[in-house]
Amino acid sequence: MNRDELTQSHGQKVLKPQREPVRHTNSLTVGEVRYLRRYGRWKYIVLGLTALLTLVTILSLNVGFAQIPVSHIVGILVDEVPILGNLHSSSVFPEGERLIIIQIRLPRILAGILVGVSLAASGALFQGIFRNPMADPYVLGVSSGAGLGAALAIVLRVGFTFFGIDTIPIMAFIGAAGATFTVYNIARVGPRTPVVTLLLSGIAVSIFLSALVSMLQVVAGWELHKLVFWLMGGFSYAGWREVWAILPLVCLGIALTYLFARDLNILALGEEEAQHLGVDVEKSKKILILLGSLLTAAAVSISGLVGFVGLIVPHLTRMLVGPDHRILIPSSLLTGAIFLVCCDAIARVVFVPSELPVGIITALSGGPFFIYLLRKKKGTYSL
Amino acid sequence: MNLVSLEIDGMSCGYDSSPVLESTSFSAKEGEFIGILGPNGSGKTTLLRTISRTLKPYKGVVLLDGRDIYQMVNKDVAKQLAVVPQDSVVMFNFTALDVVLMGRNPHLNRFQFESSGDLMIARESMELTQTWHLADTPIAKVSGGQRQRIIIARALAQKPKVLLLDEPTLHLDLKSQIEILDLLRTLCRQSELVVIAVFHDFNLSARYCDKIILLCDKKIVSLGEPEEVLTKENISDVFRVEVFVKRHPITGSLYVIPLIGSRSREAKKEGFRVHLICGGGSGSSLMTRLVREGWNVTAGVLNILDTDHETAETLGIPTVSEAPFSPITSQTYEDNLRLIQKADAVIVADFLVGFGNLKNLEAVKAALEKKIPTIVVSSVPIEKRDFTKGKGEALFKELLASGAIIVGTHDGAVGAIESLRSQRLS
Repeated sequence: MNRDELTQSHGQKVLKPQREPVRHTNSLTVGEVRYLRRYGRWKYIVLGLTALLTLVTILSLNVGFAQIPVSHIVGILVDEVPILGNLHSSSVFPEGERLIIIQIRLPRILAGILVGVSLAASGALFQGIFRNPMADPYVLGVSSGAGLGAALAIVLRVGFTFFGIDTIPIMAFIGAAGATFTVYNIARVGPRTPVVTLLLSGIAVSIFLSALVSMLQVVAGWELHKLVFWLMGGFSYAGWREVWAILPLVCLGIALTYLFARDLNILALGEEEAQHLGVDVEKSKKILILLGSLLTAAAVSISGLVGFVGLIVPHLTRMLVGPDHRILIPSSLLTGAIFLVCCDAIARVVFVPSELPVGIITALSGGPFFIYLLRKKKGTYSL
Repeated sequence: MNLVSLEIDGMSCGYDSSPVLESTSFSAKEGEFIGILGPNGSGKTTLLRTISRTLKPYKGVVLLDGRDIYQMVNKDVAKQLAVVPQDSVVMFNFTALDVVLMGRNPHLNRFQFESSGDLMIARESMELTQTWHLADTPIAKVSGGQRQRIIIARALAQKPKVLLLDEPTLHLDLKSQIEILDLLRTLCRQSELVVIAVFHDFNLSARYCDKIILLCDKKIVSLGEPEEVLTKENISDVFRVEVFVKRHPITGSLYVIPLIGSRSREAKKEGFRVHLICGGGSGSSLMTRLVREGWNVTAGVLNILDTDHETAETLGIPTVSEAPFSPITSQTYEDNLRLIQKADAVIVADFLVGFGNLKNLEAVKAALEKKIPTIVVSSVPIEKRDFTKGKGEALFKELLASGAIIVGTHDGAVGAIESLRSQRLS
């Protein structure tokens, strides 16, 4: 609905509001119904992005050293669906192709989707809480915390597994939670946590933790290569085990975040005003920061430090769908997934047979695109 | 009807260890419009913040419909109490309607979306504040005044019982100020809403408020109807400015005009007395200036109800008064001469000369005869302000002939008495 239409549909009332007493009718005007139907439009946005993600996923399964036709890919995927798979013989496709698709490419792409979803959702969430379009998991020090935890695990070669999960994700969780807790407590003034102190302490803690990671690189010795590669961000090690490990966390994190979508909208008015509108600001902020850390830790634990997704994706999505978090969060996370799957596909093909860390691709494509958007929208788009 | 909806009892509040308000108590009934006035830093905003559940008081309670708001859930408070802050900054590109719909938040649970009923309430509120045509405009793009109206619409969409406003007319032009305050008063009367607003403008608050709370030095100095609170004494004590409080003949409400910039007058011009002869408003501003500059001023003869007489009374200047609309009698003329004799200089303002006050010019003549230095201000030629068929004009020319100093402006008159005074000193 654009402004002209709305104004026209109420043109007369707008022109002479004083002379005409306020009407108390039970029917809504065309403009109002259009406004309500924006929820309908939201459905199409989500459906469209989901379709796009499916398409990108299938195309991405096609990318790689071994050439597998798209028809085979779709067939192999359909076989995996319990009921559909029984409809025809499963030996139509070569076992090698099935292995590559199901055991190597699919988990890797699903990991990319989960990481994209988590980073974009936590980015949108942090930007919302801090009323700052430049906020993202990196600013709060969450990513650095997770990074330090994982780097320690790599360097110290703590080789045990815990409930079937590697030490790297566990240490990443501990690091992320520790960093968030530290930042939150430094920033707290009495019962409140003002955004400015939170951002500043986030940056301070983040710099401190990054320095520790750099120090680890110096003493890393034989593990240096693995550490550096992991820090650059990538999905080379991602398999089904990693996917299953973070899937429930990501789903839970996003479902809970969505319940706070309207609170995030109202927080755009400032904390005091949000409180006057019935939002329990301190409680919501605590829960949301915790959810953001959870999502970030989940992402960092399987992909390392993939930058720019949490910053650019919510930002870009806000330009396209508007600032309402009830549509911004779902479209951000779908866009994040699409973006990361594409970046990973590129990372796999540019230097075949070896591959680039996906973090390099996201930064290389995200940075200039972000600058382009800022220049283009300058003056017309308010951050 | 007229139930107490808001009660503040023995409340002390402030930031960290420094109290801003101590043992404050007052209550507001349904349909009351209450204004809060006070100098900068007197705790007006702090009082609003405490009532709005933002700043917990260390002592005392804030009761909303008999319930302590600090024991209530945020949402339940927001259903009954809405706040319009001094300045609202909205991040991101929300439209005006989005922002007004946020006012429905206290009435929605976590799983609900706004219904068409909520949208109707939002539209009603926006129509009341005349912002519905801006519904789809990003709030960042509207002017400060329009944003304020939108924020008021958001507060109305909460359907509150109590509305708190921190200087609601700060960003508005005069027309919008009147419109918004008229609207608030109408709502206050019709919906039995309690409106509590911080004001900076005495005249607007006198015109719209049922009650005024005057804050100073951590406490309520005065509380009551505008007539009881906005007195010369109260304002002079609290704001340290001398003012002139009168009932305005057209609006019928009080108006307050600062008379002298600051109460600390300039050093007294000791031992030098100036008698001012004026009338019909011709001498008011000069009189005020002389008093402010520390001169010892007397005046006469002035009719009661004359603007100059009111000014002299307000400034506390010794004056010879005549009955309203009456010609100067020989009795008051003599009184005036006595005052003139005590004066070191006489200043004659360029008042209109009629048969009633011709005696004032005669008094000037008498002053000149007694060698009292006389300064005549004449920015309007005497021919144009003489209504005595030439008598006044003739008398005036006589004055000039007998040595009166003629000046064109007030500056000239003040300059003349300055030099007379310095001659006297040396």
